[in-house]
Amino acid sequence: MASVVVRDLHKKFGETHILKGVSVEVPKGSFAVLVGPSGCGKSTLLRLLAGLEVADGGAILFDDRDVTRLEPRDRDIAMVFQSYALYPHLSVRENLAFGLKLRKTPAAEIEKRVKHASAMLGLDTLLDRLPKALSGGQRQRVAMGRAIVRRPSLFLFDEPLSNLDAALRAQVRVDIRKLHDELGATSVYVTHDQVEAMTLADVIFVLNKGVVEQAGHPLEVYARPKTRFVASFLGSPAMNFVEVELARDGTAWVAVGKNGLRFPFDGKPFEGRLEDGMKTTLGVRAHDVEIASSSSTYRTTDSQSVPLGVTLVEALGTESFVHGTLGGSSFVARLDAQTGAKKGDTLDLWFKSLHLFDAETGVSLRKEP
Amino acid sequence: MRRAAWVGLVGLAAFVVAFVFLLAFSLALPQIAFAAPPIRLWHAYRGDEEKALLEILKGWQGGAVEVLALPSDALDSKLASASLVGEGPDVFIAEHHHVGEYRARGIVVPVGDAFEGDAAFIEPAVRALRDGADMWGVPLSPKCTALFVNDALVTKTPEDIEGIAELAGTLPPGVFPLVYEARNTYAHAALFGAFGGELLGKDDQFGLTGMGAEASLALARGFIVKGAVPDDANYNILKELFKAGKAAFVISGPWLAADLGDARDLKYHIEVLPKVRAAGQPMRPLLTVESAMLTKPGAQKPAARALAKLLASRESAELRARVARSLTARADVPIPEGDAMLRAFAEQAKVAVPMPSSQAMQAVWEPANRAISKVLRGDAPPDVALTEAKRRFDTVRRPLPPPASPAPFLIVFGVGLLLLVLTWVRGARRGDFTAELKRSKPAYAYVAHSVLAVGALVVAPLAVGAATSFFAGNLFGETASRRFVGLANFIDILTAQGGSLLATGSFYVVLLVTLLWTFVNLFFHVTIGVALALLLSKPMLRMKAMYRVLLIVPWAVPSYITALVWKGMFDRQFGAVTGLILGLNELFGFHMEPISWFAKFSTAFTANVTTNVWLGFPFMMVVTLGALTAVPQDVLEAAEVDGATRWQRLWRVTLPMIRPTLAPSITLGAIWTFNMFNVVNLVSGGDPDGTTNILVTEAYAWAFTREAKYGYAAAYSVLIFLMLLGFTRWGEWQKRRSEQRERELRAKEVTA
Repeated sequence: MASVVVRDLHKKFGETHILKGVSVEVPKGSFAVLVGPSGCGKSTLLRLLAGLEVADGGAILFDDRDVTRLEPRDRDIAMVFQSYALYPHLSVRENLAFGLKLRKTPAAEIEKRVKHASAMLGLDTLLDRLPKALSGGQRQRVAMGRAIVRRPSLFLFDEPLSNLDAALRAQVRVDIRKLHDELGATSVYVTHDQVEAMTLADVIFVLNKGVVEQAGHPLEVYARPKTRFVASFLGSPAMNFVEVELARDGTAWVAVGKNGLRFPFDGKPFEGRLEDGMKTTLGVRAHDVEIASSSSTYRTTDSQSVPLGVTLVEALGTESFVHGTLGGSSFVARLDAQTGAKKGDTLDLWFKSLHLFDAETGVSLRKEP
Repeated sequence: MRRAAWVGLVGLAAFVVAFVFLLAFSLALPQIAFAAPPIRLWHAYRGDEEKALLEILKGWQGGAVEVLALPSDALDSKLASASLVGEGPDVFIAEHHHVGEYRARGIVVPVGDAFEGDAAFIEPAVRALRDGADMWGVPLSPKCTALFVNDALVTKTPEDIEGIAELAGTLPPGVFPLVYEARNTYAHAALFGAFGGELLGKDDQFGLTGMGAEASLALARGFIVKGAVPDDANYNILKELFKAGKAAFVISGPWLAADLGDARDLKYHIEVLPKVRAAGQPMRPLLTVESAMLTKPGAQKPAARALAKLLASRESAELRARVARSLTARADVPIPEGDAMLRAFAEQAKVAVPMPSSQAMQAVWEPANRAISKVLRGDAPPDVALTEAKRRFDTVRRPLPPPASPAPFLIVFGVGLLLLVLTWVRGARRGDFTAELKRSKPAYAYVAHSVLAVGALVVAPLAVGAATSFFAGNLFGETASRRFVGLANFIDILTAQGGSLLATGSFYVVLLVTLLWTFVNLFFHVTIGVALALLLSKPMLRMKAMYRVLLIVPWAVPSYITALVWKGMFDRQFGAVTGLILGLNELFGFHMEPISWFAKFSTAFTANVTTNVWLGFPFMMVVTLGALTAVPQDVLEAAEVDGATRWQRLWRVTLPMIRPTLAPSITLGAIWTFNMFNVVNLVSGGDPDGTTNILVTEAYAWAFTREAKYGYAAAYSVLIFLMLLGFTRWGEWQKRRSEQRERELRAKEVTA
């Protein structure tokens, strides 16, 4: 298994500058996920790691070995493609054995590894079939099997679940993580689905417009997003943003917004970064709100509630998503099913926790620990 | 539904009526369109002779005449094919010896009142055209070869031809003492004649055998070895050499004089051909009498007969003598005073041998030409070559198979028909048959006209051709010896007429050559086509569009044009390939010999293959280009990641993936190459000695150059068809078997 270090990688396609100096560190044996919207450069980065593209600047190191200019075949990697890319003219067994045959592995060894991978992935009954006779999920597993038999230093996954239906996706997601743990592999996984990213990753890299906006443990990145973009990208439903102005109220800070939004909050996490009259973006996750009541544990003295004008309620049984407007912006709150809110109601809400971002740059105003 | 069906039927009926009407109209057009259709006159004249003919026609008062000038070999083949469909001429001018063949093919008929009478013409000319009481043409001009002497190079003609050959070395460099069409039987006959030989012996036996023939061939070969005579001069080369002053003596006929008309500064005169020392006798050239002949439709038109009579009249003869200096067959036209050329030819004609007009003569040329070629190239001694030639002659001339009773075939056919009808009836008995028929009526209406068209244009000729294979003998004409011979033709072909299975010209040898031809061509087509397609599919290549267009050009140019151009390039004397060799010699100091491409099987075969590969690779290239677009990029990337080098990706991924698309194209290519008539016929023409013939060209030769053995040729065609049918069926069977195997495998897995 290898660690992966990417230093200041640049890649241009014609005039378009796709990767603008990306640096990434993946520790040995960890599961790294590259996540971001379409066009952010995550697939390009993966292909550069694979050697399918050549970088215009920067370096890629596997275990301190500079592989930047190496061909894919010399990098000791295996890749699972979004479209599985199975060899259509070869049977499943031959697909699995292909890479090993190329490297002149002895037949007995090939047989052993193919058997092992096939058992791991439940392909035993399918070994003599052609890819065209397999279902999507089966093809997926063959693609993974093909990567596994190679026993490479690094696994690369390029959105492997995108072509599966939703139910299968959840199942295979678990299988992938289990496989990774069993093999003790180093994996780099690309996806645009933040649920996959959150559940699979040991370390997550959020890319946007060719740069890594934030890297870290998923929960860490979730709880402490460094930019508005990262905050909005992770979490479902997405974080709510409201434009507010900050005002001092003695030692306390107040966020003042439209439509009677006036919410005092604890300024300690933002110490040193706030200014009176500053224009900021207030970020509140849907689950970080509570109906204001006297028994609320988050109530501080002098705190006031924030009104939410309800426009739509999505009742899911265990919880409800209440859509409305708050402080002049649209807002989604996740509340208990028992709230009994209806369209047209006004709810008084508390923010259990909030984030603040610079209104212009989108950078988080949270103090660095 | 009903209304639509009726509309469909009415439309179909209207179409059929219109089609039939148009067909009848176009066929009858020549007759009904004009009050008096023009008389069609075909000829092979050039230069002054053509001028003379047109002047004669100026004095013709009998109505419109449509004149068509053709090269002489084209005239022969066009006559044959056009007469078959009634599109031939009314009057045509040809050499008398063709009469036998034309009679057999039913092309010509006696000229009747177009012949003025015995007294008007010289005796040999009349003899050449008469058979019994009938005259089969009107004599116009006797022609034979004589000796042309270049006055600038020699002052005195040696006594004998050996003497002329001995002049080699005394002449300026690059000048041949003697040039004549050495490989041509017609020209060689003059030498042979000195030894007392005739091309066709008694009872229509092959005449070019025996001591005299061998001696004449040895003599000719001697001349070539000495460098006194070029070994492969054709008429054009002869003409050019003489014009350029590179030949002291040439042997040719009055046509050369006509063609030399424009060489004003060439000083030459014409003499009688010299003696042959070894034979002690003078050379005796063949005499051909140019005649006007009448076709069957022409003989029925009084105007056509009158035109033929005019062409042979005294006035025309005088005009021809004056304008074209052609010798006349008439007895009452004196040779103009002071015309040494005409006098020389007239003298020569006295010792010339009239060419036999028997139909057997037609079968002499090919074997004799081949034998002479072989000997002059030094590939065989005269006796071996001539024995072979006689064998070939006998093969072509062998008696027809005895007529067979058609009874067994009719029985088989009848039974087959009965079975077919029974199955139909059984099918019709099914309950839902009438309902299904009614449902299908609109479909039948849609399909009917294409069925008719395909039936008339494809199926009918196929059936007629196949039926022809059961017959033998002359199928048309007055000597119709047509007879039903059952499977005799097929048996003849498959048993190589009782001779050795591997003798030259046997079906099996030709089949082997054809298979070799197909395989070699396909190999190059596929490798070059695929290689180019791979190159063109590289995204990096600039000006891809331009390359693609350029590489399609070989396929776009009609194949016969390509074939003729390549044939020209491979010409040993004047071809571009020779030029390339000479250029390379000069540039790099090599000493490569220009190759005589059509002298050996291997080089002639190479020439054919080169031409066909040039023609055929674009097809494979285009198909492969299309197939390559279907190879997904990510599969190739997966292979790259799996560790495959570029070559391994090509070999293990790309090629197997495009194979299913290439397979049908290769099958098509195989069939087209197997039947590639144009290239083989036009480039090597079967040379040397017909060894590069493939099955289709061999069949063509049997039909059109070897005594019109249509039945035999048709049997050849049926065999070719059956072989190719078998090949495609076998391919289908293989595919179905592998699909079946896969299905069984999958079924097993499911139940397991």
